[in-house]
Amino acid sequence: MAERPDRDTGRIGLYLYAIGRGIDDDALAHTSGLREAPLRVLEHRGLAAVVSDVDLDEFGEDGLRRNLEDLHWLEDVARTHDAVVRAATGVGPTAPLRLATVCFDEDQVRSRVEQWHGPLVRALDRVDGRAEFSVKAYASLAEPAAAGSPAARSGPGAGAAYLQRRKEETRRREQSGQDAAHDAEELYSALSEHAVARRRLQPQDPRLTKHEGTMVLNAAYLIGADEPFADTVAAEASRWPELRVEVIGPWPPYSFATLEEQ
Amino acid sequence: MSETGRPATTVPRGFGQPMATSAVPQPASLADVLDRVLDKGIVIAGDVKVNLLDIELLTIKIRLLVASVDKAQEMGIDWWRHDPMLSSGQDGSRSVEGRDSEARRSLEQENQKLRARIEALEAERG
Repeated sequence: MAERPDRDTGRIGLYLYAIGRGIDDDALAHTSGLREAPLRVLEHRGLAAVVSDVDLDEFGEDGLRRNLEDLHWLEDVARTHDAVVRAATGVGPTAPLRLATVCFDEDQVRSRVEQWHGPLVRALDRVDGRAEFSVKAYASLAEPAAAGSPAARSGPGAGAAYLQRRKEETRRREQSGQDAAHDAEELYSALSEHAVARRRLQPQDPRLTKHEGTMVLNAAYLIGADEPFADTVAAEASRWPELRVEVIGPWPPYSFATLEEQ
Repeated sequence: MSETGRPATTVPRGFGQPMATSAVPQPASLADVLDRVLDKGIVIAGDVKVNLLDIELLTIKIRLLVASVDKAQEMGIDWWRHDPMLSSGQDGSRSVEGRDSEARRSLEQENQKLRARIEALEAERG
């Protein structure tokens, strides 16, 4: 009994998914938290923190360090986190928290809400009645010309001609890359006219997404809830026929419910 | 598609035409979810300290990786299984350790042989 067990063994912590307004336990009754734990809402000064119990074996410092490197674990937790945030977003203005925010007890959660109360209220005001949309644009960059179109020459000069052709292909590919980037920039600005706020995200790796072509734009826009943004994107995108444009939404306002101090 | 339980993904309609959006909150690609839950969202320090630098590194690793472990293995990208730093928590990683180190040794040997051949070839060409 004198020996202390591992710091986190058997201990329960509270995982924070989001902080919002007008969210109560009933509204989240049909959504489960991590590991099927029931969701709870902790009220503090008009704000609602959405939490569930987690085992600190899994979500303590040691557990997180280990588990965050496990892609199965990460995918599962990330999707559950997102599902809970979406459920909350459907009820009232919601500020999603970054993955893996864990406190030891309810008082600690309330003290965080107290500490960030002003910035949280302002963040919620900014996203109230609005949703995030993802817009991605892809370009199919110039393919090398059909090799040796007039029957592959041989004899003197063939090597030089080959090098010339290669040079030309490289130049064309660079040019088409620059054109696509330019188009993407214009599309990004054009869509901004229809949005409350905008933000660029890093283009995604094709190995992660299996997309075809080159992702030249990965953007997020904050849009009024009733705006027909998909139609707007369709109309604007037709001005850049070289780009394939994809719009996905609505998302919870991950990219826009930020604390201005950060 | 919904009967299969798969995400109701939208169908591309060719260049210049966006995919349809769905009004229901649709299951998103893992890349999109990770972009947001790891990189965005409000940062409030909890009681459990998570090193965000670690997470950022992790994000970079994932960006260089793939949508799921299964796909990764399909594509032959499964380095984390062999990386002792990362595989400590993986099921069964210990039981295959012996086999792994054997495989690694044979790879190293093959590598050495190939290096030797390249050197020989380069020497031949002068």
